[in-house]
Amino acid sequence: MDSNRTISISCTINETLISRKIAPNQTLCDFLHDEIGTTGVKKGCDTGECGACTVLFDGKPVTSCLVLAPQIDGHKITTIEGLGKEKLHPVQEVFIAFDASQCGYCIPGMIMTASAIANENPNPTEEQIKRYLSGNLCRCTGYQQQIEAVKAALIKLARGT
Amino acid sequence: MKPFQYLAPIARFDYAVPNDMTELLNILHEYGSDAKIISGGTDLTIALKQRLIKPKIIVDLNHIRGELSGISVENDSLKIGATTTYTEIERDQHINRYAQALSQAASQVGTFQIRNLGTIGANLANGSPAADSAPPLIALSAKIKLRSKQGERIIPIEDFFTGVKKTVLCPDEIITVIEIPIKNKTSSSWMRFAKRNENVISVVSVAVACEINQGTFGESRISLGAVAPTPILAKESSFKLIGKTISPETIEAAATAAKNECRPISDVRGSAEYRRHLVYVLSKRTISQAANGTR
Repeated sequence: MDSNRTISISCTINETLISRKIAPNQTLCDFLHDEIGTTGVKKGCDTGECGACTVLFDGKPVTSCLVLAPQIDGHKITTIEGLGKEKLHPVQEVFIAFDASQCGYCIPGMIMTASAIANENPNPTEEQIKRYLSGNLCRCTGYQQQIEAVKAALIKLARGT
Repeated sequence: MKPFQYLAPIARFDYAVPNDMTELLNILHEYGSDAKIISGGTDLTIALKQRLIKPKIIVDLNHIRGELSGISVENDSLKIGATTTYTEIERDQHINRYAQALSQAASQVGTFQIRNLGTIGANLANGSPAADSAPPLIALSAKIKLRSKQGERIIPIEDFFTGVKKTVLCPDEIITVIEIPIKNKTSSSWMRFAKRNENVISVVSVAVACEINQGTFGESRISLGAVAPTPILAKESSFKLIGKTISPETIEAAATAAKNECRPISDVRGSAEYRRHLVYVLSKRTISQAANGTR
């Protein structure tokens, strides 16, 4: 058993193995942003409502402000920085092509969620896309470009381009 | 809900990651109410930020999650591990087949992200009167298994909740499994009313599970959420179905009984009167859906 005011964790963040001692009383969102330096992880509401802090936890989108940092021990985390390391991820490409970003604060989180849709349902209806994105609030765009972008991204992913 | 503010840093606590069940139960026995278990974190992390709770130690289930999660069918019952997520429940074919009401509720909780984190056992342990997983489980006659260093007990889920955010769960106990009996002729349904479609707390939720015998209702249970200090089994309403012909009159009588036996309060989400009306409407709809449903 590990019981202490600091705790040792080993995890994979954006394909890099990380081992360190951390304070357990911090959220994954703060840990990634402040300690790891993956500043694409944005803190919005800090209560799991807005989705700006969305990261992939073992491949599944989660709001990192609701996860305590030590919970990632032994797990795999992907942030926007790790999504398209060599070249942009197809979801990122279409978000640019469709002008789906305005102020941009919600976009890293939204792209993380969108990148996971294909694994869940490669051929969702528009209503289903809206449901998948409902945990990512955007106060600029009105969502239309983003929904269209997700549709295009799914076609791109299906073609493997 | 409290007005939002960026919160002070989370207070310090010890952090334990037990390697097995024995170690976990020893920690809970030692610390009692000074310990809090973290499962998905969707409720607990917010309570920590708001300093609604100040545990000396947080107990992380990371290393025993394998033992505590997953869905299986054994001896005519569905067994759902306490740390099974909503996403896992929503997708499970056995739950889809034998416990549709639970499947429907799991698919509507929170958001995509929340459903990947939140777990059914923690939703129950949290004791919210509006917990969306509770009414389906009550309607489906689920039993909940609690374990402590002293041993194990199994209780009907309707006896688990004792008040707002209060349950029979002792500080040294953990929910391990939720069991739902499989009944081949039983059909179930769940619906809620909320102020928007997604990521929202139910104003009212209704679940029903009824046995369908050649045009009549057999054993039937109706359960209501967010209209009393706890999720409740609507006994009067359930009696109005049992043994009766499936007809609009029977459904009307059960829905009226449900409306009369709920005890809602008025709050930001709706008035008591409005909630009673919603109980009536949703009861009619869920019973009709279950009666028409071919499992």
